[in-house]
Amino acid sequence: MTETRSMTRGKAGMPVYINRRLMNYYWERLKKNRLSLVGLGFIVFLALVGIFGPLFVQDPQKVDFEIKNMPPLGCSIQESVYDIKTSEFTTTLINGRADHPLGTDSKGRDMLAMLIAGSRISLLVGLLASGMAIFLGTFIGVLSAYLGGWVDNALMRFTDIMMTFPFFLLLVLIVFIFGPSLAIIVLVIGLTGWTGAARLIRSEALSLRTRDFITASKALGASDARVMFNHLIPNVISLIIVMATLSIPGVIMAEAALSFIGLGDPMSTSWGTILNTGQHSLDTAWWVAVEPGIMLFFTVLSFNFFGDGLRDAFDPKASV
Amino acid sequence: MSSAQILQVRGLKKYFRVISGLIPRLSGEIKAVDGVSLAIGEGEVLGLVGESGCGKSTLGKTIMRLEEPTSGEIIFNGVDVVKLKKKDLQAMRGKLQIVFQDPDSSLDPRMTVGGSIEEALIVHGVQDPAERNDRVAGLMEKVGLEAGFVDRYPHEFSGGQKQRIGIARALAMDPQLIIADEPVSALDVSVQAQILNLMMDIKDRDGLAYMFVSHDLSVVKYISDRVAVMYLGKIVELADKREFFQNPLHPYTEALLSAIASLRPASKERILLKGDVPSPLNPPAGCRFHTRCHRVMAICPHSEPEFREVAPGHYVACHLYA
Repeated sequence: MTETRSMTRGKAGMPVYINRRLMNYYWERLKKNRLSLVGLGFIVFLALVGIFGPLFVQDPQKVDFEIKNMPPLGCSIQESVYDIKTSEFTTTLINGRADHPLGTDSKGRDMLAMLIAGSRISLLVGLLASGMAIFLGTFIGVLSAYLGGWVDNALMRFTDIMMTFPFFLLLVLIVFIFGPSLAIIVLVIGLTGWTGAARLIRSEALSLRTRDFITASKALGASDARVMFNHLIPNVISLIIVMATLSIPGVIMAEAALSFIGLGDPMSTSWGTILNTGQHSLDTAWWVAVEPGIMLFFTVLSFNFFGDGLRDAFDPKASV
Repeated sequence: MSSAQILQVRGLKKYFRVISGLIPRLSGEIKAVDGVSLAIGEGEVLGLVGESGCGKSTLGKTIMRLEEPTSGEIIFNGVDVVKLKKKDLQAMRGKLQIVFQDPDSSLDPRMTVGGSIEEALIVHGVQDPAERNDRVAGLMEKVGLEAGFVDRYPHEFSGGQKQRIGIARALAMDPQLIIADEPVSALDVSVQAQILNLMMDIKDRDGLAYMFVSHDLSVVKYISDRVAVMYLGKIVELADKREFFQNPLHPYTEALLSAIASLRPASKERILLKGDVPSPLNPPAGCRFHTRCHRVMAICPHSEPEFREVAPGHYVACHLYA
């Protein structure tokens, strides 16, 4: 017993909400959902690639026109060159090369290096922006539900107003005004994306608020802050995790879309910016657009599968 | 009854405002507690009985100021609780505690039971973690649970065990009065007896008082020193337990007592109440019980009976004894 005690208690003897038996139970339930495991596997792979990958490849921004539009390994394209002296077209066959396994773009930049750099940017933006959005949503939702009355009314009407903003237009506008940088993009997505989370968490907290253990805590003389942080938030934590997971793909897509229309951070390589360069050369170098597209597709799918699996695992009423 | 009074309630009212309509406006008031006066002595158990919806739980919560009273006085330990500022109220709360009906919802599912009990100590400024651990272990043993269970979560316990933990939490700051809001009605009969005995043992050892809210007269008969009957937000009869069960005066009390299952049927004629409890949104004029009373008189719908002492220590609000 003393062993578990040290495991589950923090320094000051405060409980730290890690219930290993419960975690095991959730993990067992999650494991039954194969798709969500595949999703989790891909996310972990992507994270590793994003963290360590850039150490092993060349600089993604390195331009070399000698090797532009090199196809991926195993593919080949025909290139016609007009020779002025002989007034003839000479057609050469260009094969993919092992030193650029995923080909190069129209400026001769290595696609593999760019995709790896892009995975770092996409995950970073996804995690930071949804982290921020969920944090704000939790804060506003719990505060609104717990305090009730006019505070609740004011916060929820504010949420309604935020919800009516066409989010993407706002994003475009702000990026246009302040200039494209990753920090601005993260801030804007984080500051506008919290509304759904706030509503969901408010409704959950509203039903928790009337439970006897909240009343008991108040009856003991616990402060409002204590009730919120020690009782309300721990009881919505599974909801928070699920929502964070499910909101990441939306953020990644939003960043990619911004970069695609040319409002991404020009100093960084993201999947969206690669897509943007790829769209101009779809007829000559299809892989430049297709490769980041495939990465986006599988990333978004993985987060959705994993999020769905988590939701079912946390919901005792769902059969897995 | 006994010497000093730990709690005195005078003219306590709790009205819930009903706001409805597209343009929100006050459309009525639910008079959940409507002018209740009672007193509880040191180490005394006051049983409070009544049908569901009569306001007995609200009365308990209002006395603790978990609901803000509309008007009235609540003197606990010589201090008017109603007038206390938030800070003083929180300090007072360790001495005035509550035990809930539903053991499943009264413990935080995400907190160890030790953590739930310990919270009381943290809130009331016990700084030393080692001291807190010792006291939590002591409380667990006091309610008949192994001290080693502190790191378990509520879902690992039975209903009776959870109720014991709820009691341990209430006992953490050595309260003088515990409001027990139907503490055994969600439990099996065999477990009910264990919890009642535990509560009696703790009372005898620590000399604390209970306000024991229940709709079960046999439970109240077992644990109480005095019994109060509540009907539609008002107390209609209050007497010592012996007097109450042997010589009930109010027709409503008669009806309640006649409904107790007995091993000797036909010893008393059963009084069947007609209809439901009227809505507290719009209680009947005069005596609130007149719509269902089997001894209703001409005066009852017109004049509200006074709550009077008709025999030493026996109070009743009924025109029959005016």
